[in-house]
Amino acid sequence: MRFSDTVAHLVTRHRALMWTAVALIAAACIAILTTRMRLDTEVLNLLPRGFSSVEGLKTYNTDFAQTRELTFALLCQPDDIDRLEEFAPKFADKIRAQPWCVRVLAGSPMESPEGIHDLQRIALPLLLNLEPGEFDRAISILEPQRIQQRLAQLRREIEGGSPKPEMELTLDPLGLIAPSLKPFAGSAAMETDQPFTSPDGTMRIFPVVTNQPSISAFDCQKLMKEVNAFRASAIEGWDGGKLEVLITGRSAYVAEISLSMRHDIVATVLSSIALVGAVFFIGFRRWLPLLGMGIALGLCCLIGLAAGLLIFHRLNMVTVGFCAILVGLGVDFAILIYGRYQQARSDGAVHRAAIADAIHSLGRAIFFGALTTAVGFLALVLSNSSGFIQLGVLIAIGISAAGILMTTIFFLFVPPRSRPPARDWILHAVQNYVQRMLRRPGTILALSAPILLALLIVAILPQVPLTFDSSARSMEPKHSRAGTALSLIMEKMPVRWEPVLGVLRAANAQQLHDYWKALSQHWAQLQRDGKIKGFSTPSALALSPRDMQRNRAQLAHVDFGAARVALQNALTENRFSTAAFASAFQFLDELQAATAPSFTIPGWRAQLPPQSAWWFLIDRYFGHDPLLTTGFVTTHAPVTTQAQKNELARELPVPSVPITLSGWSYTLTDLVPWSHRQLLLISALMAVFDASLLAILYRDGRLWLVQVLTLALAIAAMIASMKLVQLPLNLLNVLAFRLVLAIGVDYGIYVLLVWQRSEDVARDLAGVTKPVTLAGLTAIAGFGSLGWAHNPILSGLGLACAIGLFWSLAATIFFTLPAAVMVKPKLPRDRSDETLLERQHAH
Amino acid sequence: MRINNKAVILNAAKRSRRIPWRYLSGSRRDPSASLGMTAKRPFFLFLFLCSVVSARAQTMSPADIKGLLARVREHRAAFPNLQADFEEQRKIHLLDEPITSSGKVFFQAPNRFRLERRGNSPSITVSDGSLLWIYYPKFKSAERYALGKRSPLDAAITTITTALNLQDVENMFHIIGNKSDAGYDLELTPRNPSMKRIFQKLQLRLNNDLFADRTEMIQPNGDHIITIYTNPAHAALPTSTFEFTPPAGTDISTPLGK
Repeated sequence: MRFSDTVAHLVTRHRALMWTAVALIAAACIAILTTRMRLDTEVLNLLPRGFSSVEGLKTYNTDFAQTRELTFALLCQPDDIDRLEEFAPKFADKIRAQPWCVRVLAGSPMESPEGIHDLQRIALPLLLNLEPGEFDRAISILEPQRIQQRLAQLRREIEGGSPKPEMELTLDPLGLIAPSLKPFAGSAAMETDQPFTSPDGTMRIFPVVTNQPSISAFDCQKLMKEVNAFRASAIEGWDGGKLEVLITGRSAYVAEISLSMRHDIVATVLSSIALVGAVFFIGFRRWLPLLGMGIALGLCCLIGLAAGLLIFHRLNMVTVGFCAILVGLGVDFAILIYGRYQQARSDGAVHRAAIADAIHSLGRAIFFGALTTAVGFLALVLSNSSGFIQLGVLIAIGISAAGILMTTIFFLFVPPRSRPPARDWILHAVQNYVQRMLRRPGTILALSAPILLALLIVAILPQVPLTFDSSARSMEPKHSRAGTALSLIMEKMPVRWEPVLGVLRAANAQQLHDYWKALSQHWAQLQRDGKIKGFSTPSALALSPRDMQRNRAQLAHVDFGAARVALQNALTENRFSTAAFASAFQFLDELQAATAPSFTIPGWRAQLPPQSAWWFLIDRYFGHDPLLTTGFVTTHAPVTTQAQKNELARELPVPSVPITLSGWSYTLTDLVPWSHRQLLLISALMAVFDASLLAILYRDGRLWLVQVLTLALAIAAMIASMKLVQLPLNLLNVLAFRLVLAIGVDYGIYVLLVWQRSEDVARDLAGVTKPVTLAGLTAIAGFGSLGWAHNPILSGLGLACAIGLFWSLAATIFFTLPAAVMVKPKLPRDRSDETLLERQHAH
Repeated sequence: MRINNKAVILNAAKRSRRIPWRYLSGSRRDPSASLGMTAKRPFFLFLFLCSVVSARAQTMSPADIKGLLARVREHRAAFPNLQADFEEQRKIHLLDEPITSSGKVFFQAPNRFRLERRGNSPSITVSDGSLLWIYYPKFKSAERYALGKRSPLDAAITTITTALNLQDVENMFHIIGNKSDAGYDLELTPRNPSMKRIFQKLQLRLNNDLFADRTEMIQPNGDHIITIYTNPAHAALPTSTFEFTPPAGTDISTPLGK
């Protein structure tokens, strides 16, 4: 018994057995989903593996405390600048009072007495960490004569009207704190130079560290719920014009992205089902098969998700697009097979014979269709992006399942007494077209070929550019509040463009110090040479045990008693207030204590109070592991080109220092070649696979050439359309080309196989063209429904695929068919002997 | 020129609207005694003091202050250049006693000025509104500051430019004032917090010719600076007055960076 007859026998004679199998499969899948469902909301997992910049970005996002930082901004009207100035401290206090707030930075720490006092607290370890030469020069100021000279000089400068002595003596009455903080001040300069007020005064920003327990999507959502509630009441007491409270940061983004997932799932799946269902119903006007198709597709989705969970353990957010795509693709098989079934019933076959005929006639086409689509999606494995690998594997599994289920259990929902509608205007229109096409294929080609060739020219012409957007913005959710806030902040404070990160991990404290020392020296040279604008490193805070030990030994040679007397005398002689210099005497005591071998130098981390604003700076440099650090390099302009990125990659590293360069702009620029490779190389590989498969399938050079040409023209038309409607390519929707190749080739396979094998071309071509048209429309609807997704990756991918599939379908009907007719003519068969089928399957 | 500190403070206090000095001074004769009103002396003394205070210092309404500032602006527009002698007394928390200095000030509206400080530690301070140089001829050294960075230096600069120009003060400060026979006493309190961090209060006295003859600036840390201006003149000033090029061999520093 043929496979088609076996299936027909099972679905008509052993329905209970088939239903039991369906129930078991569904139950197993649901059990897997409910017990193992884990979602991966990390947007960075959409980026490909194998790039150090991506890995660096992931490290920075997961191992550094700054990931818990939110940036608040107040944006007022130009007339309210003074009001904003007055309101800002109140707003900072309100944030401070929130239970989710750990600390707020409302201004440069150097501008507040607390900030200066905090620096004085950490002066001792930083002084001892100075390079030996610098340390010796610094402590020479403790010689009695130097103390007297310094204070006399400062006194004269005060008399001369200079503000410098007052500033210097307030921070550093002994003259040792400034040299000890000098490396730190140099490092911090870039960070502290970042303004907190926009140049026009209408925007104030407030970096805030939150206490969210983890950076998971759910914790981010929970935090943002509280933060948004605060946002609603935050401007109470403001008496000016419109005041906007902007909030951005990782948590804001993650909360938005993860929440948009829910919208995307609902919007895309529902719209996909609605559109596909509408097309199916318009085409066949039957409810029960439509329901059967829906259940079969639902089962395919369950199988795909369950298999995906078993394989990957966690499903990435991009796989939310899986169901919509699968619905759009899997429905093709149902339409094709049901169309053929209806045709067989119209020809007089009974239910079981019509099932067998449909499976026998189209089983091979569906098998190859599922194969090319599955291979097309499996090619996403080459993308190296874990999110897209999952998507590819899930769809490959799902489409394979659809191929099987649509040729088996789908028929459980086809009633035995079902008859095709008496009047089928779609079929009638298709029949008319096929008749005309068979009679005058040249006329159809004369219309379609120029259009496709014109689009080919548009696709090739460099004067009509295809936009390639490699900015981080291209990956943000649509209408993102966090994204809008960030854009406004960047617009108002143009100096705040993103620096390049240098992530560095060391084995021990000494190695960390040595690494950063080497990098700092190298970057300082680059700055002098004008190759970079600036840099900041944790060099000053990376303590060197070796230097500290040596400097403590050197400190023991200082006569602290004499220094104390000299200081007191100098104060008296120059009529300074002894009370104002109390901290100088205290620091002398600390230094003397540090000379004792048994004395433990307090670490600067322990010396800084938790509320200190300096933690904002430190958290940028140090990860949770103190040996994991980051340095920052500012460029003369934002990193947007490969040339910039390559120059930085060449210039910034130091031999033998294992630094990883990263940052969003740097990474996305780094990924542009990867994306181009995806576009060109892997799409080309896919095309080669398709071409080889077609050669094996047709074993006919002319038909092969026709279809390869069709594919090329369809892709060209897709590129031209994207150029004309200005739909930009981004790093990830370039994957659409290979998907269009994988799916578009199926339409050609369906019609050309029928054309090749048919003995009644008019009847058979009409019979296949109608379902192919419906299948194409449903696929376009399925992908097009992704356009409703907030996630720009999904929506961009969906729209690009929908455009590509439209042209694949159009090219198949209006180019492939007439071209095939022209290159390999067949005469329409006389319909007098069409009762062969009836006889064959009659009981 | 050496300034007598005591004299400066004394003169300042005598001119103050709050203290009718010549009547409260113990060395002066009691005016009520000559009128034979010994029994009712406290009452009449009170009435008399009230009448004196009201005659000597009248609180200015916001409209009065606005009108005064408009007149000052007209005056400055007519006479954009100004030079005067100054005496300055600074009390800072780092020192046990105040520091005094004197010299000459040149000003050109809206914000260019030059201070030539004499004495043991002479210096020349020149500002074109965006940069400020302080040159110490004795030490052959100079300091260069960028203005508008909300540094403590801006407090001193604001004192000078506000006193000599009074431009845009309504927007920058809350102002209260009194009119007296000698002129106008204005008290300026910064409106915005960044300015409040720099200084707490600026007291300014304008004479009837609308020239600021005395300023007193009080900083949040208690430091204060009293400046007395005398001998004003409005002769034209060459642009070079407000330009500074360090002489060759000068050691230049930028204490606030950049």
